[in-house]
Amino acid sequence: MRRTAPLIILALICALLISVGCAVTLGPAGIPIKTLLSSPTTLMIFWDVRLPRVITAALVGCGLAVAGTAMQGLFRNPMADPYIIGTSSGGALGATIAIVLFAGNGRPVLAFLGAMAATFTVYFIARSGGKIPVETLLLSGVALSTLLSALLSFLMYTAGRSLHQIMFWLMGGFWNVSWNDFFIALPILMGCGGVYLFARDLNVLSLNEEDAIHLGVNVEQVKGILLALSAFVTGIAVAVAGSIGFVGLITPHLMRLIVGPDHRVLIPAAALAGAILLVWSDTLTRTFTNDMPVGIITACFGAPFFIYLLRSRMKA
Amino acid sequence: MKPIEIIGVDVSYGAKKILEEISFHADKGEILGIIGPNGSGKTTLLKAMTRVVARDCGEILLESHDLDTLGHRELARRVAVVPQDISIGFDYTVRDIVMMGRHPHIGRLASETARDVEICEHAMRLANVAHLVDTSVHDISGGERQRVLIARALAQEPEILLLDEATSNLDVSHQVEILNIIRGLTGRITVISVFHDLNLAAYYCDRLLLLKERKVYAIGAPADVLTCENIREIFGMETLVRPHPLTGRPYVLPVYMQTTDVGVNRRVHVICGGGTGSDILYLLRAAGFTVTCGVLNVLDTDYGTSMHLGISTVAEPPFHGITTASLAAARKWLDRADAIVVTAMPIGPGNLDNLRVLLDYPGKPIIIYAGNGSARMEDYTGGEADAVLAEIETRGALRVEGAEDLIALLSKGQFGRE
Repeated sequence: MRRTAPLIILALICALLISVGCAVTLGPAGIPIKTLLSSPTTLMIFWDVRLPRVITAALVGCGLAVAGTAMQGLFRNPMADPYIIGTSSGGALGATIAIVLFAGNGRPVLAFLGAMAATFTVYFIARSGGKIPVETLLLSGVALSTLLSALLSFLMYTAGRSLHQIMFWLMGGFWNVSWNDFFIALPILMGCGGVYLFARDLNVLSLNEEDAIHLGVNVEQVKGILLALSAFVTGIAVAVAGSIGFVGLITPHLMRLIVGPDHRVLIPAAALAGAILLVWSDTLTRTFTNDMPVGIITACFGAPFFIYLLRSRMKA
Repeated sequence: MKPIEIIGVDVSYGAKKILEEISFHADKGEILGIIGPNGSGKTTLLKAMTRVVARDCGEILLESHDLDTLGHRELARRVAVVPQDISIGFDYTVRDIVMMGRHPHIGRLASETARDVEICEHAMRLANVAHLVDTSVHDISGGERQRVLIARALAQEPEILLLDEATSNLDVSHQVEILNIIRGLTGRITVISVFHDLNLAAYYCDRLLLLKERKVYAIGAPADVLTCENIREIFGMETLVRPHPLTGRPYVLPVYMQTTDVGVNRRVHVICGGGTGSDILYLLRAAGFTVTCGVLNVLDTDYGTSMHLGISTVAEPPFHGITTASLAAARKWLDRADAIVVTAMPIGPGNLDNLRVLLDYPGKPIIIYAGNGSARMEDYTGGEADAVLAEIETRGALRVEGAEDLIALLSKGQFGRE
């Protein structure tokens, strides 16, 4: 563990608090913090609209980043992320089924189940001889995502009046987020805590699976638990905010450059940075772009980053 | 109680048997080397010992504990592995990697203690990587990375250390450096190592286990396992096995030439000494000639070669001149030889008779062989040897430089058959 690690974590905590502070004062209504808390109307905007929205965005960002970190370590593959390997699509399909068939009831549960099923399917398709090569992982993720979006399109086609609601899952965003959604999102912290318990296992696993066995890691069990936890966290994030891509890909990368690959530091650092990233992305969209889905923003800077990674890996 | 005991183990990948009826044990504190050709199951045998691959049948006991009853962490506290060379994808420091060796000792909710740090530092000193502690594993050489992996394995504080060709990808100097580190551990740790290089195995191991086609072919002291016969049987290759001049351990010299039959039924007597005849003694044998040799002193390099090749040789004790009895014995071979080869050996009073006796064979074809052309006869007799040599040459002895020319000449019809 690098000596600067605790300082960086502390700095990230401060940055998150400041970000949340800024985010609740910024918005289309443009209310300064002083007036925000003084009148009942503005207090309501602060308390019932902005605060749950900002905190939920932070939770979702934290969850996606931690799920991405876990998957990258687990697959020893810096291209892995819940959006790319199909976990998010599975979650979106689950949520859509809940909307179309059950009028939105059980959304988190079905999103979680969908995320879980998609993750393990890609895992078993991509696996050959105990290894998960980059190419097969990406391709099976793409293949499964295509299949899932076909199913989604079918549901949308037959859905009729739920169409707008479904579109929401595909693009991802935080409009209409209430305290209720915040409480749905809260277990993300549990999932992240669960992943953190396996930080040292992830360090060892990120070397090589056989090596991890030699160092006393029950590899199959740990992989199963971490995949399930990642799917759990991603499923909840998708249920609350739709499928927001690339947060889980970019954040672990940036943080690995800053704090190094040790997961005991990387996981909390990525969690905080993911939260900051999504809080600012959301603030940006609702302040300047008339509440455009935040997934568009993250994809706008995420996809070029992904291409850059792919190119630099191909050169190496 | 043996540190590890393997009893009747079979392993297969799918329908293919990789190991069959493997039984052996390691003694406490020894280095046991596993050798055998590619595909004989060496690496799989190590993998079975760490449960990376499952067994079809048989038992593995660690100090009488059944391997299968040990938990993952418990096993990693007893057995550590140094892999061949792993690519480390993420940018860990040497300290991070070595600390991973403490993983099986640290509980899930605990973090490393001062003692863990101390053990890692000690391991890094033993493996000679302490100066690299804060360096990234991407910025060190292959040899250094292997030493880091040894330090990591030592940080596990194992009773048994398994090495899977841990030095195969390294320069010979790094191989020796690493194996010396491993050698220094014995007594405390039992080491089982797969070796690719037979000579490194012979030098560093107390015992060797030779695998052939999935089974144990031989096990024992290096001198008993690394014999010409075993190597021919297992690797299908001709070798000379000699004691290493410095260590006395068996040393395997591969013989690269293919055998032919151009010399069958032709008899050649070789007069040589001081190592000047070793190459042609072997080449003549490989070409099918019936070779005799002498007179030589015991301990002469050429004497060792002729003994290994099973060549009939007349010999005197070390540093002894040629006696009349020996000369008479040599004459018997000279009488029967179709041709006589004299190498560019140094000639002194002790072996001058070897040359003089040739004056008695005016009718025999005599070839003076100068090796690859660089060697010339050193005369330590004050001119007498040169005189005899000149006389032999005027009588028609031929000078030949290359080994191929020599064999070609001797294969010609003019040198009659027996």
